[in-house]
Amino acid sequence: MRRAILLLACVALLAAGCGKSSRASGGKIVIAVDVPVTGSPYVAQTIRNGVALAANSLNSGGGIIVGTHTYRLAVKLYDNHLSARQAVEDTRRALDAGAVAIVTDGTGVDATWQLADRDHVPICITYDGGTGLVDAAKRPNVFRIAPTNHGIAFRFAEYLIPKGLKVGLLHDDSAYGQEGAADLGRAFSGNPRSVALRMTLPLGATDLSPQILRARRSGATALLVWGQPPTIAAVVTAARSIGWDVPVYAPPTGADPFIRQQLADHPSWVDGLTFAAGRLTAEVGTGPFQSFESQYESAYGVDKVGVPTSDGSPVIEPPELAMYAYDFTHVLVAALTRAGSLDAGKVLAALNEVTTQGANGDERGFNRHNHDGVVDDDVYFARFHDMTYAPAKDDPLSSTLPVIPQTP
Amino acid sequence: MRALALTGGLVAVSALAAASAAAAQRPQQVVLPGPVPYPTDSPPLVGGGVLASAYIAPGLHIASTERVRVNVDGTGKPNAIHVRQQLTVKGKGDYQVAVSGPIEDVRRGPGSQSEPGFRADQLLWAGFSPGTKQLAADIALRVPPAAPYLPLRLHLTREDGGVTLRVTNATTTPVMSYEGVVRPTEIARLLDATRRSSLAGERVKAAFATFLGTVRVPKRPLQIEAPLRVQGELDLPGQEPVAFSRVLGDGQPLSFEVHAQGSGEPDLDLSASPAPVVHLLRPPGARTWAATIGRRPIPGAELLSRLIGARFRLVRTDQYQTFLADPDADGHSRAVYEYKTVAAHGPQHIAAPARDGGGSNALVIALVILGSLVVAAGGLFVWAHS
Repeated sequence: MRRAILLLACVALLAAGCGKSSRASGGKIVIAVDVPVTGSPYVAQTIRNGVALAANSLNSGGGIIVGTHTYRLAVKLYDNHLSARQAVEDTRRALDAGAVAIVTDGTGVDATWQLADRDHVPICITYDGGTGLVDAAKRPNVFRIAPTNHGIAFRFAEYLIPKGLKVGLLHDDSAYGQEGAADLGRAFSGNPRSVALRMTLPLGATDLSPQILRARRSGATALLVWGQPPTIAAVVTAARSIGWDVPVYAPPTGADPFIRQQLADHPSWVDGLTFAAGRLTAEVGTGPFQSFESQYESAYGVDKVGVPTSDGSPVIEPPELAMYAYDFTHVLVAALTRAGSLDAGKVLAALNEVTTQGANGDERGFNRHNHDGVVDDDVYFARFHDMTYAPAKDDPLSSTLPVIPQTP
Repeated sequence: MRALALTGGLVAVSALAAASAAAAQRPQQVVLPGPVPYPTDSPPLVGGGVLASAYIAPGLHIASTERVRVNVDGTGKPNAIHVRQQLTVKGKGDYQVAVSGPIEDVRRGPGSQSEPGFRADQLLWAGFSPGTKQLAADIALRVPPAAPYLPLRLHLTREDGGVTLRVTNATTTPVMSYEGVVRPTEIARLLDATRRSSLAGERVKAAFATFLGTVRVPKRPLQIEAPLRVQGELDLPGQEPVAFSRVLGDGQPLSFEVHAQGSGEPDLDLSASPAPVVHLLRPPGARTWAATIGRRPIPGAELLSRLIGARFRLVRTDQYQTFLADPDADGHSRAVYEYKTVAAHGPQHIAAPARDGGGSNALVIALVILGSLVVAAGGLFVWAHS
């Protein structure tokens, strides 16, 4: 009997040493999402959905393995009301809740990054492209997956200047508009003769006729409007109301459903509006993005723009922002896996070293010198026609991109 | 890897030899050296860790131009190595590439149309080329792992009344050659083709030669080098600079010495670039090898030896055109190596490349297994004696 017990003990010990052990459950890993639920609900919802989609998908596969434990991802939502003060409060609460990362639209990052940096917690911006928000040297814990204002401004310069246009550079007096104006100023500084005028527009003004008349008198042959969606809608309205068929260009806010909703009574006014955005498809084609879009729509339904095409089909918005949030969640998980622990410092360092395949088939990742996950080259131009948009044909990158369906 | 390459070559040649013995005097096509594999693993340099996945759109080509700047101390020993690598992307499409090496830091180079990324031992480029695109990076390398792969060794020695610089071609390496009965006319034609490529600065093209009967592997490996064109000036304060210009290799000496009279700290400016094989491929007494053997017979073995030696040297030359890799394996690459005396400014900060996690886990698992075995063995011992 004694021999048998000893033999069994030896076998058990050998089995423990050599066998494949099942991983212990480590509990939950919290990802905080701090977005303007009550300030900009479309942006907030799509970002939140992107993170949740990735988390649910990973959880349904058994969770994620970090070191010797398996964890499930939990998404905790905070509403920053588009207020930096609220964002600071949300960040404190997220850190208290043990969040391993904070995904945000960008509200209040100037104030929140230091708080998070004390705990080595990464913040990822998935909407605001503001220059200065992300700086790998000064703000080592701030990352972004979204087109940068800098990249958009310089892409506009290389797109518009060769056309020989006299561009009216307009911006509204929101922080977004002012930041964009600064980047446009730098981008066009080498070619001042391409600029007909620079003008600040009041955010929220519904009638911009005087300003647009002034722009017309300046000799502008194109308008580049860097502002919030209501400003862009007001510029288009003012120009078309006076019969001025000037081409209008816009940053990514030009794709906001609000503009099409505002101009729903004059669909032809939307035609030709051209905006810059991050490409939705990689060179591998539309397959990966459409697969992601299909997953997204299965989980959350389609994002309706609220306007129809000329044949009455409802227009839907591709989940671009959700894609960025989804991609960051995957990059974060790759970093957790590489770090092999929940040690915040190790995870932060690992974020500089990992790459994952993004929802559009492109590689996503950051590096030690650059915490922007969307490179400037990935900014493309799209033009509206019949309430939906398609990549522009007069830009080398855009002309290679396929059309993403925007009707059911 | 280097040993593997040599062994692989040997195995291939041995198999060939066995096959050819069986085939008696039957002619067989034998692959001549070039354009690949290179006789050694590096250059191009290799860093730690796994490279990020790469993608180059079909039809896109990337050419690399490198300026390797080597600061040497008063004895000629490298104390800093920087590379300015310029990549020219031709064609329209996406690219996502990584360049590996013992990289300490990376900065955007002048004229670059994009910003380079930097990870542990990796330089990253990603973007879209609208037809042509210039990418440039200034890369600082860690000296200890990079210096052994520099093409030159310099030794500065002080003597009474001056300083002597000894410059040595450090690209010499053994390669496995082969011998056999060949047709002189065919080898002469191949020599002419190889010479034309070399003089045109082209990469050596793949080629075959017909062997009649057994293919033999000589017992002693062939020593080959990348011929280097070296030029520069050695200067001592208040004295006229001593200028020099040589080719090291290609049948000429592999080292030379320059002496400068005077006193004080020597100032050396030297540049070296991989050079074509000219001397060894020059036909004696005629414009072509074909014409030469038409005038007087040259043994096939002699012609073959010359052809193989020259082709190996061209492969080695091509290898030193990429101190850091060209992400496009078929890309056109050029490198120039510049050496300059600069006093060391304290020890260089050397960032150890981050490795994949899991090392500690592996150790724990190993210890658990070891412990289990010890306990189990003890248990069995007690059981056997109970």
